[in-house]
Formats: sequence, C-alpha cells, structure tokens
Amino acid sequence: MAKTKKIIGSIVSHIFLALLVVIWLVPILWLVVTAFSGYPGINKAHFFPTSWSLDNFKKIFLHPDSVVQYMTWFKNTLVIAIFTCIISTIFVLMVSYAFSCMRFKGRKKIMTFSLILNMFPGVLSMIAVYFVMKSIGLTNSHLGMIIVYSAGSGLGYLIVKGFMDTIPASLREAAKVEGASEFTIFIKVVIPLCKPIIVYQIISSFLIPWGDFVLAKLMLNSGISSDWTVAIGLYNMLNRSLVNNYFSVFCAGGLLVSIPISILFIIMQKYYVEGVTGGSVKG
Amino acid sequence: MKEEKKNPFKAMGRGFANFFKGIGRYFADFGKAVVKGDAGVKCSLLFMGAGYTFKGQWLKGIFVTLIEIAFIIMCIFYAAPNLAKFGTLGTVQREAVFDPLTMQQTVNDYDNSFLILLNSIIALFIIVCFILFYIYNIKACYELQKQKEFGQHIETNKENVKSIVGNKFHLTLLSLPTLGIILMNVIPIFVLIAIAFTNYDQNHMPPNKLLDWVGFSNFKKLFTEGMGNYFGYAFKKILGWTLTWAVLATLTTFIGGILLAMLINKKTTKLPKMWRSLFIVAIAVPQFVTLLLVRNFFGDQGIVNTICSNIGFTDWLKSIGLVSSHLNYIPFLTDPHWAKFMIVIINIWVGIPYQMLIATGVLMNIPTDQLESARIDGASKWKIFWKITMPYVLFIQGPALITDFVKNINNFNVIYLLTQDVYITPDQALANANAKEVDLLVTWLFRLTNEYYNYKMASVIGIIVFIICAVFTIISFSKLIAGDREEEYQ
Repeated sequence: MAKTKKIIGSIVSHIFLALLVVIWLVPILWLVVTAFSGYPGINKAHFFPTSWSLDNFKKIFLHPDSVVQYMTWFKNTLVIAIFTCIISTIFVLMVSYAFSCMRFKGRKKIMTFSLILNMFPGVLSMIAVYFVMKSIGLTNSHLGMIIVYSAGSGLGYLIVKGFMDTIPASLREAAKVEGASEFTIFIKVVIPLCKPIIVYQIISSFLIPWGDFVLAKLMLNSGISSDWTVAIGLYNMLNRSLVNNYFSVFCAGGLLVSIPISILFIIMQKYYVEGVTGGSVKG
Repeated sequence: MKEEKKNPFKAMGRGFANFFKGIGRYFADFGKAVVKGDAGVKCSLLFMGAGYTFKGQWLKGIFVTLIEIAFIIMCIFYAAPNLAKFGTLGTVQREAVFDPLTMQQTVNDYDNSFLILLNSIIALFIIVCFILFYIYNIKACYELQKQKEFGQHIETNKENVKSIVGNKFHLTLLSLPTLGIILMNVIPIFVLIAIAFTNYDQNHMPPNKLLDWVGFSNFKKLFTEGMGNYFGYAFKKILGWTLTWAVLATLTTFIGGILLAMLINKKTTKLPKMWRSLFIVAIAVPQFVTLLLVRNFFGDQGIVNTICSNIGFTDWLKSIGLVSSHLNYIPFLTDPHWAKFMIVIINIWVGIPYQMLIATGVLMNIPTDQLESARIDGASKWKIFWKITMPYVLFIQGPALITDFVKNINNFNVIYLLTQDVYITPDQALANANAKEVDLLVTWLFRLTNEYYNYKMASVIGIIVFIICAVFTIISFSKLIAGDREEEYQ
C-alpha cells in the first residue's frame, strides 16, 4: 500500500517537473522554430511557422543591409570581449595575489572597502561614467567599451582570492627559501596552480560584453549601426517600425549568439554558486 | 564578541569610534615625526626625497622628488585654472561670431562648465592623494632615521629596486587595478554627487551654455509636489513600486528556487542532472534575447493573445472584469496592473533557475546526520523542512538574499527590456515627470538621461538609490565577511 503510494507520488512529481520544463523551454523553442521560418516578420497566428527555410540565416551571413549588420556586430563584440577578458583576468589575478598571498599594513581594510564598493551596482554611476568617457573622447569607440568593461574589474577578486587561499603557504615559503622573488612565485608557483579558477575568470569576463545591454546602449549612441555590439543591434531590430519585417531575423541572430554563450555559461555555472554564497558552499 | 555579531549597528558604532581614534593617532604620529625628525626629515618637508638621499637611498629620493615636481606642475597648469572657476563653474558663455574676412565662424574663448567640474574633481582627488602620500613620506623618513639610530640595516639602492618585485610587490600589483577602479568607480560617484547640485539639463547643456550651482533645489523638487512640479508625485509612486518589486522578485525566486531544487534532489526523482540541465538552458541564453522574445510572446497582438482568444480565455477574463470590455486582447504588458503582474511572473521565469542552482549547492551541504536523527525521531517532512532545512538555507544564504534585494532594486534589464517602446503610461502626471508606472528608479534615471537629457534630476535619483543600497549593502556585508575562510587553509 505504502509502496504504491510512493510510486504514484513519484509519477506525479515527474509529471509536474516535465510540465515545468515545458514552461521554461517554450520561449526557447519558439526562438528556434521562428529562426527557421520562411518569412522575415512575426507570425502572430501560429506557434510553429507555416513555412520553413534558412532565409533568415542567409540574410545574416550573406546579405547585410542597413538594419542587419550581424557579422560586423559579432566581430565588434568579439574584439571587445577578447580584450576585456585579457585585461580583467590579469587585473583580478594581480589583486587576488596581493590580497591572498601577501601580508601588508591595511590589507583587511582595503579588502573590506573594495568589497563594499563592488556591491554598488554599476548601473547607478553609469551616467557619470559616460561623462568621464565623453570628456576624454572615448564614447562611440570600442576602446572606450573595453575600458568601461575592464577598468573596474579588480574589484571582483573574491572568488579567485578564495581559490588562492586554498593553496598551501608552505609551497610559497619553499620557493622563497630558494631565493625566488614574489614576482617569480606569482608567475611560476601560484598561477599554474590556479588554472581551473583562471578558466572561470576568463569565461565570466568574456561573457560580460555579450550580455551587457545598458552600458553599450549608453556609450555607443551615435546611431551608426556598424559600431554596435550584438545586443544593441538585435534590440534595434525590434523597434516598432522594424519588428514586423525583422522579427525572424532577430530570432536567427539571437539563436546564433546564444549557442556559444550557452556553452560557455554551462561550463562555468558550477563556480557561479560559490561566487554568490561568498565561498561558504562548494558548487 | 558574540554580541557584535548579533548587532551590526552596534559593531558599526564601535567601528566609527575606532575610525576617529585612528585618524587622531595618524596626525599625532605625523607631528611626532616632524618634531623629532633630524635634518633629513625636516628637509623632506620641502624636498620630499631629501630624507632618503641623506641616508644613501638617492634613487628613491630622486623618484619621490620627481613625483613632487610633477604634482607642482599639475597644480599650476591643471588644478589651479580649473579650481579657480570651480566656484562659479565658468562665466564666459560660448559665442560663435561670423567673421566676414575669413568667411568662417570664430568661437570666443569660452568656459566649458562641465569640463571645469570634472577636472576640478579629478584635481581635488589628486591633491588629497598627494597630501596622504606626503604625510606617509615624512613618516617613512622618520622610520628610516630611527632605523639608523638603532644601528639596523638600511636598504641600499639595489635592494630598493628589488623590493618592487619583492616585499613591496603588492604595491606593484595593486597600482594599475586601483587606477582603473578610481577612474570607473570612484570619480564617477563624485561627479554624480556634484551634478545633483547644478542645473545640468536640456536647457543648460555645456559647452553651449554655462552651468550654475543651485544648492539643494533639485532635491527639493524631488521631495515636494505641486505648482507644475510632478517629480515629487512620480518619485513617491516609483519608489513604492521599486521596493514592492524588489521584495516580490527576491522572495518569489528564492522560495521557488528552493522548492524546485528540493523537487529535483528528491531521492525518487530519476535523472536529476538532466532536469537541472534543462532549466539551465533557459538561463544560458543571454537575457536580452529571452526578454525581448518574451515581450513579443506576450504582445498585444502576439501569439499568446491569439491562443487565449481562440480558447476563449480572453472572453472569460472580460466576463470577470480583469480585462476591460472594449479591448479584444489581454493587455499583458500595456495595462499598468497587468504589466506589473506580468513583470513579476516573467522575472520568476528568469530568476528561478539561478536560485535553483544555488539552492542545490546549499542543500547538498546540509549536515545529513541532523536530517537522519530527525527522521529517526519520527519528525514529519514538513517539520524537517521548517525546522532544519530552512534555518540552514537561510543561515547560508541570508547575506546573498540581501544582495539579491539590492540587485533587484537595480534590475534594469528585466524592466527596461520588457517595457521600453511597449508600455505607454496613461497617467498624465507621471508622463510630465517622464516616468511610467512600471519604471524602477534606475530605469527612470536611465531614460531621464538617455531620452530627456535631464542630468540634474537623474543625479539626485542616483544619490537616493545609492543611499538605499548602501544601507542594505552594509547590513549584508557584516554577515558576508563572517564567511571568510582565508586563514582556515594557510
């Protein structure tokens, strides 16, 4: 009796889970099927397209127009992402080593202060950031975007520092006894041991420019579409006057950018948990 | 010690007391160094490198003196001209005169108020940093003198250079990142505060117009109502919605995440990894793609409306009065009440998988012996959930929950991407303040700057949000630091 009750309970919970999965994946499914539809606009009457084709992808790859410059946007975002990721990773490693492996006066205070500073959402001071960049002539430039994304990255040291804390101090001391400078220890001892967390740091900083919408919209405001990143370009396609002619193209573009981004996100999601709970939980 | 943990504000009070004591000690030490210092220390009051040079560290001495010279040059050519105009923010307005001789427009030597403001702030910042460095330098020279008096080894020039990658390596490492943080995080905050006290808006745009200091009048405008001023009304409404939204968004996703994680982690659930991955796919797609997609999904003439009207759901909602009778669609994102409801629902869709991921991590770390003994004692499932699981989860996730709350106050993406270009406010008073019912303070701020160039009001709103966030951040921070495990391993 108890056993059948258990089985029924298990079946019910599986059906419930499946139902939830359907709810969560319906929009994604809609994205995929619309991307393969045979017309560029939005189909308001049917969930599945009434005709199928690869036209939207062809438009993206082969026939860019003034609205769809997908390949240029992709290239822009990729360049910004690569440089952001290099600078941020180096900055974060530098800050983490200083805080984790070295002992100096005021270390705890500086750490506390930078953690608090990091908790303030960047969205707030963005107008002021915009002014600062404008006065040095770096709005509407990709260099400006790279600076905006990576300059303050040193504040996000918490996860990498937490990882460095787990490296036994005896390793560093042994190197010091043999006459190695802190610089040598940093490059030759600590960094090789930090490989997994460096991968995390590289991926997460690489993802920032792909997912960011607000800063890019504010900084790249000239209206010249060849300057844009993928996020703004795709957003622009859903403009009231354009949505009826470009919705399926938007879906195709969204799908194309989502595939690599999703893969990277799934690789790094196990560290995500650790970051949020401040290291008190191992993901 | 225990009491401190329980009451963060008491601890903060003690922290402040210590802070001021520290400042007192700081200046006392400086005075002592000046009074008791030898000729080298006294000379370095004027030539900062002197103290080092007298003790044989001439390389360091030259370096420090060069910094001093650079600072003086900066003061004369950069700080002084800007700071002189900081009080008025410039007096000469830009004028272009057509010159008939050269057939060209000539512009007079005008004052750019904004650049004066920005440069003055940067200059003040540099001056404060230099003063701190100056005091540090005198103290360091005095230390050096003491070392010599006690007959300790004084570093040679070569050792000084070596320390850049040796025991002073942290300075080398931190210098560049700090510069970036100052440029991106610190200076902007000061600029934001300064603009809130000026009249920077659409009618006063440098370089063509001059800015003026206006004192607290922008703050007054935001907190009062009437006489053609709609900002007070809009601020009250938007602040209310922002806080309601932040509470709703945080709680719904938090609880939903835990429930989903428990459902997936149940022993009877087959293939937990597969279920988890399916939910992760939904959040792995960039947010701007999914949100823009969902916005069209629920559009007035969108696919969901077509389906609802086909199955008669729209008519049913009309009959119970949830949709007004003159509409032939459900105004998911165009009616104030519907839009707020839908935003919360869509945010649940966006947020639960994240929370599920975190909750899974937390739940897997619950000490199993406690669960076992409770089960042996015959506690019911509900009792175990409320008495063991929930307290444990709250203990671990408490600080993160407050951080989430702050993040939701500033959840720009969800609100902006779902409502921009779609939602038009029916409330004329709100529209006069360029606001909408569904706006958060941050989206209001963003649209004020990006669409209406009303920088002064946006800055005031920015300061208010800063203060709100600061209170919650400090509460959450005092708990977060307790989870630091740095000394555990080393």
